[in-house]
Amino acid sequence: MRTDIVRMYKDIHSWVGIVCGLALFIAFYAGALTMFEQPIQRWASAPSELTAPVPLDEVPALITATRAAHPETARGYRIHVETGPENPARLSWDVGGDREHGPDAVYGTALDATGALETVRLNVSPVGELIDVLHQQVGLPFAHEISMPIMGAVSLLYAIALVSGVIIIIPGLVKDMFALRPGRNLKRMWLDVHNALGIFSLPFHIVMALSAVVFAFHDQFYEAQDVVVYQGEIEAQWSQGRVAPEPFDPQARPLPPAGIVARLAAQAPGFTVTTLEYRAGPDGRLAGRVIGYDPRWGMRGPTYGLAGFDAYTGEIIDAAYLPGHQSGWEALVTGFFALHFGNYGGEPVRWGYFVFGLAGAFLFYSGNLLWIETRRKRLTKRHGEQPQSRSAHILGALTVGVALGSIAGISTTLVAAKWMAGHVDNLALAHRWIYYSVFLAAIGWAFRRGAGPGGADLLWLCALTTLLIPVTSLIGLLPVVDAVWCWSGPVLLLDGVALAGAAVFALLARRTRQRALHGPRDSIWSAHVRTAGAAAARQPDTGGGAPAAD
Amino acid sequence: MSRARDAALTSRDWLPKASAGLVLGLALAVAISGLFAWFGPGGLYDGAGKTQVNMWLISPVWCGVLSLCFLFRNGRAAWIWLGAATLLAFALLYGGRWLITSGGL
Repeated sequence: MRTDIVRMYKDIHSWVGIVCGLALFIAFYAGALTMFEQPIQRWASAPSELTAPVPLDEVPALITATRAAHPETARGYRIHVETGPENPARLSWDVGGDREHGPDAVYGTALDATGALETVRLNVSPVGELIDVLHQQVGLPFAHEISMPIMGAVSLLYAIALVSGVIIIIPGLVKDMFALRPGRNLKRMWLDVHNALGIFSLPFHIVMALSAVVFAFHDQFYEAQDVVVYQGEIEAQWSQGRVAPEPFDPQARPLPPAGIVARLAAQAPGFTVTTLEYRAGPDGRLAGRVIGYDPRWGMRGPTYGLAGFDAYTGEIIDAAYLPGHQSGWEALVTGFFALHFGNYGGEPVRWGYFVFGLAGAFLFYSGNLLWIETRRKRLTKRHGEQPQSRSAHILGALTVGVALGSIAGISTTLVAAKWMAGHVDNLALAHRWIYYSVFLAAIGWAFRRGAGPGGADLLWLCALTTLLIPVTSLIGLLPVVDAVWCWSGPVLLLDGVALAGAAVFALLARRTRQRALHGPRDSIWSAHVRTAGAAAARQPDTGGGAPAAD
Repeated sequence: MSRARDAALTSRDWLPKASAGLVLGLALAVAISGLFAWFGPGGLYDGAGKTQVNMWLISPVWCGVLSLCFLFRNGRAAWIWLGAATLLAFALLYGGRWLITSGGL
């Protein structure tokens, strides 16, 4: 490999990394957590006052009673075959809202012991969705239409960072791949870890970068293709294979849900049904859609596959997204989605993606810190030990504030789920406010205190807020505060992971504090940096040169 | 041109190269996706699944061009070569499409 190419891509890698690294940190930390969005949803959802769901065989009575009391359900409703704390009603429907932003409210019904109808507004915790949106929008608080193109730009930079990163480590690949040089040269060790993480998770990152570009720009891609590829007839592409429905007999009775589930099980063995969705057409004909999962296959949705079925016969009429029943092209597309979502292979793959996601976040964090340290060492070699430039201080504080602020913000807003329920009307808005308040305050604190001392403080904050997750659940177990709850079962694993995370943050906080006190004084990590920083502010900025060009 | 050939590559003229990769990379990717849609396996109408695959194809081509456009000698070379490749791809797409739709084949 020509050295000028390697050097050029080193510059590109550094700058691209600096621009997109922090956004990617949030995307990957939140993304790792979304691997467990369903357990998070359960953890954070308050007990419902609804009576336990009726058995599936008795759902027709529930539908009839609901239809009588709420005529709007004739337009559409859902039957939840699987129910749980995050999903307490057997029957639910949406009110208001639109497809883009979701419904204004979701209502659910049940039958009490006497067979009378109960109706409640379902307050399923929105905190899991907030984390998912943070993941999708790289932490940006703007509307979807604004955040997604920015996310797309970040993803393009991310792709450049991957290619350039590979190019620059090819020359030393064989020599350094398994090298981990701990010891006095701390920067060397960080670089080794950064390189090893990057190389070993490269396929994962390629998948994420390419699919994220599609998620950001698919509408624009289709529009461009409509003009230059399909000659304005992309609709003809979508309607391929669509057959005109047979004439509808208004006297036909829909098959009861239990019958539908049995028919589906016969047609798609291994596919576990979670939800049946019904929507009425203009002529009153019910269209059915089944949602469920099959861990033997990749799935189109983050945690589910789906299929269209005939509500009157239970026959599957659209298997385009049904795991294991797709045609070649459909299976290929579903493969792209499944590789992004990590929804193939069940729990082991889910945990694997969780680890890769956290490792990815660490990759971007370490990349930023390496930029700063490399500059310090280069400047020291050239000009002797001197105070760090203002740009290094800003980047250091920003890195620490954004990364640790997003961690502490997510932990805090998670904990708040168990304390706000029943007291707060608009839970989704409250969760957003809590997250962004902590996030912005953390950035402010990092700037005020400097990267080193501020980083240690914020790591303690991360440890504390994350520790509050299992502590809150523990309070829910004890008969102290009535309003706080704690679900049993596998969801307790979430508390265990939070406890481990809190321990890691506390350990890192101690180490950071020690380095601030005893490490090199010209480093941005030093606690003695504030006087030096003031001196640097008086000097003309020495930055602007390309990093790592030595 | 031949003088520039020997000059070492640097990151200095990144903007003209990157803009060529961004703009022409996208145009080239859309054209290639069109070639795949019309003349790739299954042809133009092979189900809505293929329509989606055609769209997905844009991402790797665009990302690839954008990442590797820095290997051009300079910004001018990037615009010229990528522009020529894009024109060629569109010429193949429109020409091939004309042959099919006008009954030439």
